[in-house]
Amino acid sequence: MKQTPLWGRHTALGARMVEFAGWQMPIQYTGGIVAEHLAVRRSAGIFDVSHMGRFRVTGAGARAFLRQALTNDCDLLPPGSAQYTILANEAGGAIDDAFLYRPAEDKYLLVVNASNKDKDLAHLQALLKSFKDTVLEDVSQSVAMIALQGPQGEQILQSLLTDGVLPAAHRNALSNFKLAGLEVCAARTGYTGEPVCFEIFLMADCAVRVWDKLMEKGALPIGLGARDTLRLEAGLPLYGHELGMGKDGLQIPVFAIGQARFAVDLNDPQRPFAGRKAMVRQSRARTAYQQGNYSDKSTLPKLIRTFRLLDSGIAREGALVYSGGRPAGWVTSGTMIPYWDYEKRDDAIMLKETHSQRAIGLCMIEPDISVGAQLEIEVRGKNLRAQVVSRNLQNTGRQTRAVL
Amino acid sequence: MMIDANARYLKSHEWARKENGNVFAVGITAYAAEQLGDIVYMELPQIGREVKEGEAFGIVESVKSASDMYAPISGTVTEINKTVPDNPDILKTDAYQKGWLIKLEAANPAEFDGLMDEKAYRTYLETEA
Repeated sequence: MKQTPLWGRHTALGARMVEFAGWQMPIQYTGGIVAEHLAVRRSAGIFDVSHMGRFRVTGAGARAFLRQALTNDCDLLPPGSAQYTILANEAGGAIDDAFLYRPAEDKYLLVVNASNKDKDLAHLQALLKSFKDTVLEDVSQSVAMIALQGPQGEQILQSLLTDGVLPAAHRNALSNFKLAGLEVCAARTGYTGEPVCFEIFLMADCAVRVWDKLMEKGALPIGLGARDTLRLEAGLPLYGHELGMGKDGLQIPVFAIGQARFAVDLNDPQRPFAGRKAMVRQSRARTAYQQGNYSDKSTLPKLIRTFRLLDSGIAREGALVYSGGRPAGWVTSGTMIPYWDYEKRDDAIMLKETHSQRAIGLCMIEPDISVGAQLEIEVRGKNLRAQVVSRNLQNTGRQTRAVL
Repeated sequence: MMIDANARYLKSHEWARKENGNVFAVGITAYAAEQLGDIVYMELPQIGREVKEGEAFGIVESVKSASDMYAPISGTVTEINKTVPDNPDILKTDAYQKGWLIKLEAANPAEFDGLMDEKAYRTYLETEA
């Protein structure tokens, strides 16, 4: 089983290690998933995400290659920024979702899911054959990756900055700088819903030193367990749940997820990426739904929606969803999520010292069920009441709060 | 790992302990609680329900998973401990005293003798881990 450069740190910290996509990774540290989740929402957490796949794309043909390989248009990606994107198939489903970073004019870095890395690499290499002067390298071993997420993250990085500047204060901005004398590249991206968020790329042999510095400054290590609850609370899709193959054995259309509008660019009709034709139809179907026209559900039979449970219990992946007694779909991700209690004071949100929990999730359901509608979710033979909501987490500028 | 010398055990990490007469307290072990991690939801049976040895009497859920809890002996539920579902952290600190979950009026008290004793459970934990 593979180990990231931070494996020794995880075990020394008493992490519970699990196998994940061929890697030995921390599912949680000694404080547990709930404490880790809450730490990210209140202060800052660090995540070893070195298990994810990292591909460097360089050469004169890089731009043309990426424009054909990915659903988003890298022509809209200036140096010093990042974009959410998808590797799609002709049917308009996702082979994987990914983030494309452009740390320099002539250099791109594509970060993919650990569980899909080999499949993605084979797919990209096959496409690469028709491009000249394009180099695709798997740099997953030589480059490590640490995510720093939460309201205190910016101060922590600032306090360690020895050269250069942090990325500009907007989502997806990226810059190259030095942390404690070590060269890093960081983007304001993440998988937690936190407005203050960084993902840091650095040479693998620097990972331990930077990890230790981040911990010294107060960032708490966060395992894969809380990584999942944080993304779920933020309503972010996870491949294998909200993307890829559905419970019905059919490809989930990319436009079933709301995030498709950030990940797919259909503006340039000359850009021939895989799945384009299917996604044009999906996009039209989604627009029709928004206008209240559900006459043709064949292209997008179901959408991924956010729900909260009204009855006590937990609705987990695979649970069947009903609307007015009729089958409507199924849960794609769901669990109990902790949150800080809060109060509103002069329009500001003040987190209290106490926390609570609520059961939420994502489901794939009929497209004409709108926000506010009540659902029933079958859990161990009982129907629990749930409600479609627009979100379970609200961005309040510098931090977030639970939507209750 | 904390093990109660007066209790007897199932391989699925539930315990039973004789209280008085034919009444037995039932719970999950400290090992089970630790393995589950943060417990976020529990369901306990209604008073009066009859359970068979090895039958699920309730559900314990962590962030990651839901697990059945199995009855070590057959009997009728006479009491449930409502404090634990509201404050499952009790299981981390006191799985055998404050952490009892249900009390059963045993249908066949001899079933208790067939369970693993402290020594056998300890050996089982060592070999399992």
